[in-house]
Amino acid sequence: MSDQPTPRNSRNVDEVLDLLLDALLERNAQRRRQAAAAKKPAPAPEPKTETAPEPESEPEPAAAREPQPGDNNWTPPPPVPSMGLHRLIWRMLLAVALVTIVINIPVTRYGVSLARILPDKQQLVVRDGLLLKGSGPEVYRLEENKLRWVSSLDAFYHLGLQWDDVHQVDDAYIDTFERGEPIHVLLKCRTSPHIYRLEGDQKRWIKDIATFRVEGHQWDEVRFVECGYLDSIPLGTPIPADAGLPPNSN
Amino acid sequence: MKALTVIESILRNRYQHFVAIRDGEDVPAKLRAMLLSSIVLAVIYGAVLGSSHSVLQALSSAVKLPILFLATLAICSPTLYFFQILFGSRQTIGQSFALMLTAVTVTAVLLVAFAPVVLFFLLTTADYQLFKLLNVAVFAIAGFRGVAFLSEGIKIVAANEQGAKARRTVVRAWVLLYGLVGSQMAWALRPFVGAPSLPFELFRNLGGSFYANVFASLGEILGFWTVH
Repeated sequence: MSDQPTPRNSRNVDEVLDLLLDALLERNAQRRRQAAAAKKPAPAPEPKTETAPEPESEPEPAAAREPQPGDNNWTPPPPVPSMGLHRLIWRMLLAVALVTIVINIPVTRYGVSLARILPDKQQLVVRDGLLLKGSGPEVYRLEENKLRWVSSLDAFYHLGLQWDDVHQVDDAYIDTFERGEPIHVLLKCRTSPHIYRLEGDQKRWIKDIATFRVEGHQWDEVRFVECGYLDSIPLGTPIPADAGLPPNSN
Repeated sequence: MKALTVIESILRNRYQHFVAIRDGEDVPAKLRAMLLSSIVLAVIYGAVLGSSHSVLQALSSAVKLPILFLATLAICSPTLYFFQILFGSRQTIGQSFALMLTAVTVTAVLLVAFAPVVLFFLLTTADYQLFKLLNVAVFAIAGFRGVAFLSEGIKIVAANEQGAKARRTVVRAWVLLYGLVGSQMAWALRPFVGAPSLPFELFRNLGGSFYANVFASLGEILGFWTVH
C-alpha cells in the first residue's frame, strides 16, 4: 500500500472543506442578521471547536459614565496645589484702592478730581426745584410738573436759588412743560401803603386788596425793602392795567 | 491677607471646599474668612462705584455695598435653610450659611476682577447712564456666577441625602428670590453711583423701581428718550 493520496481522496477532502466553509459563512451571516435586526442579546458563546471570528457589528457594552458631582459614587479630584492666589488678590485690592484714592484727589484749583474731570453730560434729573432757562432771560422753576416763571432777580434770590443750578436747555424742551403760576416777589416800603409786584426789571402797582387776592397773592410774599431802592425801580403797567398811577407816586 | 486664602480654596479647589462644608470641617473658620473677604472686596468695589460722583459718595458706597450683600443674604438665608430642611437636608445652619456665603464671596471677588474695567470707563466717559448700565451688567455677571457656585455646592452637599433632586429645584427658585430681594435692596440703599446733577445724599427717597430705572437708562442710551 502506498501513503501517497490518490486523486479521488484529494477531491473528497476538498469537497468536505468546501462544505465546512459554506456552513461557517452561513452561520456567520445568520449571526449578523440576528444582531442587527432583532437587537436581541448576544448569543451564548459557542464551544471553542466551532468558534468563528466575532462579528464586527456586535454591540459593544456602553462606556461607563464618569461620576459627576452629586452622584453617590463621586469623589472629588485631588486638590490643586496653591499658587499664591491670595497674594495676587491682595495686591490687586491694594492697587484698585490706591487708584480709587488717587482719582479722588482734587487736581485743579476748582477742586475737581480725575474721576470727575471730564465734561459732564449733567443729566437732567427732572424733579421739583429744577431750574431751566431757554434762549431768553426767563428762568423757570419746576414744581409739580409745571414750569413756574421766576419773575425777577429779586424773586430768584429771595427763593435762595443759585445760578450754578440753572440748566440751559433748548426752547423746544421748555415748551414741552405745562406752565404754572409765575413766582413773584412783592415789594413794599414802610413809609408807603402801596404794594408792588416785581416783574423783570419793573415794578407793577397792585391797586387794592381785592386785586391782590384775585391775583392769588399771600401776605407772606410781601418783602419790606428800603424806600429808596423801591423808588429806583421803574414803574410798569399797574394791576389791573386800567388802574392808572398809584396815588402820591413819584 | 490670610483670610483671602479662602478665595483660592473656593476658586481652585471648590470641590474640596464644598466637601469640607458637607463634612463640617472647620466651618466657623471658613465662615469668618469668607465674611471678612467679601466685606473687604465689596468695600473696595463700592468705593470705585461712588467715585464717579464725589468723595462722599465713594465713602458712602463703600459702606453700603457690603451692607447690600449681607443684608440680602440675611433676609434670604432662612428661606433656603428651612426649605432645605423640609426636603431632607441634614445640614446645620452654619453649613447652610457657609454655602450661601461662598456665593457672596465669589460674587465679590468677580466684582473686584471687573474693577479695572469699571475704573477705565469711569476715567474715559462722563456718560452717567452708560456707567450705571455697565455696573448693572457687571453685577449681573458676578451675581450669576456666584449663585452658580451655590447651586454646585448644594448638589455636592446634598449627595447621598434624600430629596436631593427636590432641593436642587428649591435652590433654583431661591436664586430667583435672591435676585429680586437683592435688586430691591439695591434700590432701597441707592445711590451707589450718584446722578451727577444731584447733590450727594446718603439715601434717596423711595419711588420707582430698579427695573424701571434700568429700562429708562437703556432707552436713553439707545436714543429712544431722555431720562427725566
